[in-house]
Amino acid sequence: MKHYSEDDLTLYYYGEGRRRHDIERHLSTCAACAATYRDIAGTLAMIGTPDVPARSDTYGLEVWQRIRHQLPERELEFNWFKRFNGFNRFNRFNRFNRFKGFNRFDRFYGFAAGAAALIVVAFLAGRYLQRSENLLNPLNPLKPLNQASAEVSRRVLLTSVADHLDRSERVLTDIMNASTGDISVEQQWADDLLATSRLYRQDAIDAGEQSIASVLDDLERNLVEIVHSPSTISAADLEQIRRRIDAAALLFKVRVMSEELRQRENAPRDGSQPRTPTRKIG
Amino acid sequence: MDATESAAVLARARQGDNEAFRALVERHSRSVFRLAFRMTGNEQDAEDVVQESFIRAYKQLGRFESRANFGTWLYRIAANCSVDLMRAKQARHDQSRGESLDAAEQLPAGDTPNPQRLAESAEIDRRVQDALAGLSPLERAAFTLRHYEGRSIDEISAALGLGTSAAKHSVFRAVKKLRAALAPLRSHAS
Repeated sequence: MKHYSEDDLTLYYYGEGRRRHDIERHLSTCAACAATYRDIAGTLAMIGTPDVPARSDTYGLEVWQRIRHQLPERELEFNWFKRFNGFNRFNRFNRFNRFKGFNRFDRFYGFAAGAAALIVVAFLAGRYLQRSENLLNPLNPLKPLNQASAEVSRRVLLTSVADHLDRSERVLTDIMNASTGDISVEQQWADDLLATSRLYRQDAIDAGEQSIASVLDDLERNLVEIVHSPSTISAADLEQIRRRIDAAALLFKVRVMSEELRQRENAPRDGSQPRTPTRKIG
Repeated sequence: MDATESAAVLARARQGDNEAFRALVERHSRSVFRLAFRMTGNEQDAEDVVQESFIRAYKQLGRFESRANFGTWLYRIAANCSVDLMRAKQARHDQSRGESLDAAEQLPAGDTPNPQRLAESAEIDRRVQDALAGLSPLERAAFTLRHYEGRSIDEISAALGLGTSAAKHSVFRAVKKLRAALAPLRSHAS
């Protein structure tokens, strides 16, 4: 009679292994293997799953607060220089590799190529935009005047709100990176933004732009918090403000909304654009 | 966060958006902590693993393939961080044990299991923890993934970057050591 090893029986216990039916039949007839299996199963049954200490709903936020200042420089998704250097390492017999400082030239040409590409893109984009401006002139007889006018108003709102969000992002970033002490400059800035934010929120509601209004509402609440904090702020108070900003994912929302508004600004002006961003933020 | 939104957040994080990475940290911290705690058996060590895992993930995010699942990728990083931490601790422990070997030899032998005490589950848990602490970092990691996390041998080998055979034998060695360490409890129980 062929006996099964401890390893086979361990895999069998965990529901793995290929000959499960054979093992099952064998265990019902072989007392030695059945005893070994009982011992394995008994031992493993004693090792219950440990109780993992509970972590609150804000645990992720706490982890983020602990690591955010430790985050190092990162290998970005498209690191062309590395790829280029990697190619050079691979090509061992490349005669240029004999020259010291080749990588500096490498980088120089990389930057030059990048800059040239940017100039070409900017030129083409400029030509395209100019053409589309002409097509969308309100005097264009193909387009009714009131529709053109509404379109212009909508674009003015998008541009203004996007600029407002950019400025707000800078204030929030300053607060996130501020050290304890005097934050009166940031407060003054936040106060100026607060009044504007209320106006834009109302405009957004009137224009049926609920997503924009919602982000502006979140922003307002945090700006109020900043404005009403003491000018000379303690570490605890500053941390509380940061936590609120973090908890609302405000910087993320502001950044995403700003980008979406910029995209909509640049979208074709045929009136078929969706009114609000299609996905919910936060 | 649905799948489309997750993909959007991940794409932003890969492009260097720290707020998007923050969203990923918030989403995955508790599951990483759970795995780390099961691996290390120690709350403070688990916290260290959580932090180190996210820092490593941040550094390597550019290399992450967007087709893959971020949770699975992070899980592998956390498993390997746990192994690294356990190895470092073991190395320190071995060093300090070497230094105090003479003193240790003069200590009295450990208690023999007392049936009354063994009846208490706390005592059993303590002995189980001691037995788990006697495993090598790799054995413990493989055993944790198999026993607590319910991962298959193939999944363990992928998570720990081992061949299938090495993953399997890490589990086998762990089970053998645990059986030997817990045999006194079993004989009292039977």
